[in-house]
Amino acid sequence: MTSMNDSPKPFRVPSGTRDSRRHTPKVEMKGLYQRAVKESFVKLDPRIQVRNPVMFVVWVGTLVTLLLTFDPNLFGTLQADVNQQRLLNGLITFILLFTIVFANFAESVAEGRGKAQADALRATRSDTIAKKILPTGSVQEISSTELRRGDLVKVVAGDMIPADGEIIAGIGSVDESAITGESAPVLKQPGTDIMSSVTGGTRLLSDELTVRITADPGQGFIDRMIALVEGAERTKTPNEIALTVLLAVLTLVFLIVVANIPPITGYVASFLSTATSEQAAADLRNGASVAIMISLLVALIPTTIGGLLSAIGIAGMDRVAQFNVIATSGRAVEACGDINTLVLDKTGTITLGNRLAAEFIPVNGHGMEDVAQVALDASVFDETPEGRSIVALAERSGAKVSFDPKLAEGVEFSARTRMSGTDLDSKEIRKGAVDAIRGFVRSRGGHVPPTLDEAYERVSKLGGTPLAVCQNNEIYGVIYLKDIVKPGLKERFDQLRRMGVRTIMLTGDNRITASVIAQEAGVDDFIAEATPEDKIEVIRSEQAQGKLVAMTGDGTNDAPALAQANVGLAMNSGTQAAKEAANMVDLDSDPTKLIDLVTIGKQLLITRGALTTFSVANDIAKYFAIIPTIFAAAGIGALNVMGLKSANSAIISALIYNALIILVLIPLALKGVQFRPLTADQLLRRNILIYGVGGVIAPFIAIKLIDVILPFS
Amino acid sequence: MLEAIAEIGSEWRRQKLPLYLFLGLCFNLILAPAVFAATSGDLSRTQAYWLGALVILTVALAIYLFFVMFVPERF
Repeated sequence: MTSMNDSPKPFRVPSGTRDSRRHTPKVEMKGLYQRAVKESFVKLDPRIQVRNPVMFVVWVGTLVTLLLTFDPNLFGTLQADVNQQRLLNGLITFILLFTIVFANFAESVAEGRGKAQADALRATRSDTIAKKILPTGSVQEISSTELRRGDLVKVVAGDMIPADGEIIAGIGSVDESAITGESAPVLKQPGTDIMSSVTGGTRLLSDELTVRITADPGQGFIDRMIALVEGAERTKTPNEIALTVLLAVLTLVFLIVVANIPPITGYVASFLSTATSEQAAADLRNGASVAIMISLLVALIPTTIGGLLSAIGIAGMDRVAQFNVIATSGRAVEACGDINTLVLDKTGTITLGNRLAAEFIPVNGHGMEDVAQVALDASVFDETPEGRSIVALAERSGAKVSFDPKLAEGVEFSARTRMSGTDLDSKEIRKGAVDAIRGFVRSRGGHVPPTLDEAYERVSKLGGTPLAVCQNNEIYGVIYLKDIVKPGLKERFDQLRRMGVRTIMLTGDNRITASVIAQEAGVDDFIAEATPEDKIEVIRSEQAQGKLVAMTGDGTNDAPALAQANVGLAMNSGTQAAKEAANMVDLDSDPTKLIDLVTIGKQLLITRGALTTFSVANDIAKYFAIIPTIFAAAGIGALNVMGLKSANSAIISALIYNALIILVLIPLALKGVQFRPLTADQLLRRNILIYGVGGVIAPFIAIKLIDVILPFS
Repeated sequence: MLEAIAEIGSEWRRQKLPLYLFLGLCFNLILAPAVFAATSGDLSRTQAYWLGALVILTVALAIYLFFVMFVPERF
């Protein structure tokens, strides 16, 4: 759990606002709509249509009305003008065909965007020459496609990295802009939990690396990404499956209802022919003709959501990809919308990864200058941002390096010793965790002054990280490293709370520091002095309460927790094990993005819910448009509240509306309903008000308008 | 001849739709006379045959929708 360490992290902070960040490979959107139009007609293939139950019923209906266009009396002789019937049936066929084409168009546009992204990525995945290291130690140049998992390759400055792998030797700057969109090179080095993995298709800019290949050809990171954005690996998510069942049930119910109308109408007509007039009976029979029944069926089944359902899902995946996040499945994206608990690391996620030295606190009777001097001497070889900030603060306090750095030796920070410093001939200067320095001083025969604990508590209560500094066996003081909570995070956590999402912060810091940061950031709970095992324990206990948990991680020891979490977001800078265990990988390595993913997931679910509500609510207006006009002879003409001109006009108006509304709603399906941080109840109320009531009112107005425009009498 | 029949048989096992269409049309040979008889001369034989086919199509659609309800992940 590297992110919980107090050690500095070579994080690259992505530049620009998140919304402005997109893949560097320029996605070619030119010709997208032309291709989508062509694809819409190709998708009329019944083998494709059969996968969408609602649109397949429309497709079958279109075929039947086409037959009726050629012979209006195919299923029985109608007592009406044959040419007029032929025209009406032809119009119905045409509108039904375009209802399917519009639905196909929505799907094709969504798929086209994914394919354009895949093409851009494919361009980065050209075959390269790899320098394979043979067991004898010699180097053989082979094509990157011949590399296999476990092979060792040598990469020198300027070379393209031939495949995904882990660095086992060397340090170098890698340009990952091909996949992340970030132009700043990233320093890669072996032996660390982070920044030790490289991705095929990226370029080494400096030095030389030895890389162990971790993916066979076609199984690499970019290959998986291409397959996902293209939709090749797309399977239905649980929510989509549930909605498909609902749509099939609704379609079946309306199919049974509509199929029963002609026999009932026949019975009523035979009664009318004896009781009132033959003309009324004939009108009634004509009203229940097969073409009109098909129109009624298509108007009543939920074609709007049926036509847009797959486009909404594909667009959701696309939105995630645009955020430079790779999801292993649509299921993972959807799970983001159902998350109840977010488990977040403090360092790098809640606070900025780089803490800055804010103050020196002298102890043991030393002066401020003494502490600054020792802190400077201890940090001369510390190249981390924290180390550099200590040097800068000490120099501002008037301190100057008191030795020739050529004659000194730097002591690197390690997770085991938890301190770093400088060794001179007669001096051991150290800075590090207070406990570690305490142990170091005691081991050198020194004593720990009581004022150290006071300084330690003071810094902790301020939410900072205390670092003690010592020279040989004497403690000089404490450095206050200020943790800075990322701006705007408190508001984000407030939004999440309103949506019913609980946030838990994990940190290796002491309890006092953790509580201050937790309060400042506005998280709901925190776990201080957390060990890597605590992370998986938290996830398990939350899941035991029936909650869905999301977390981020980058280290190998995060892998079990990433696999256990319902949504595991691994950092691209992390190890291969973490990336394989997670169901999402963030190419920007920005852990805060987990919050955005929750938003995208919720937006996806809200969009699907809103359009389903709208689609079902539309039925009321279509029902009032068609039924009273076609069965006016049965005495229900008063229900024609819209005052539509005739039965033919009413049917055509309702069908035109039915087709056009799919086209009108495509942008909404692709972009998603605007996200608002509301509770599930508030969202439901809002949905019903806007898309339910709106779905009832809008078609009344639209159908009436179309009826006025149409030249039917 | 037998080989040709065996070939058609194996093709039918692979391609289900033509088989279902054939069975549906055969069944319509039984259904259409019943429809013709039930309408007491209002329909011609051709119209009765097409109406029978429409009834079978409607039932087939209902079965298909039931199938979607029980195995939705395949759609």
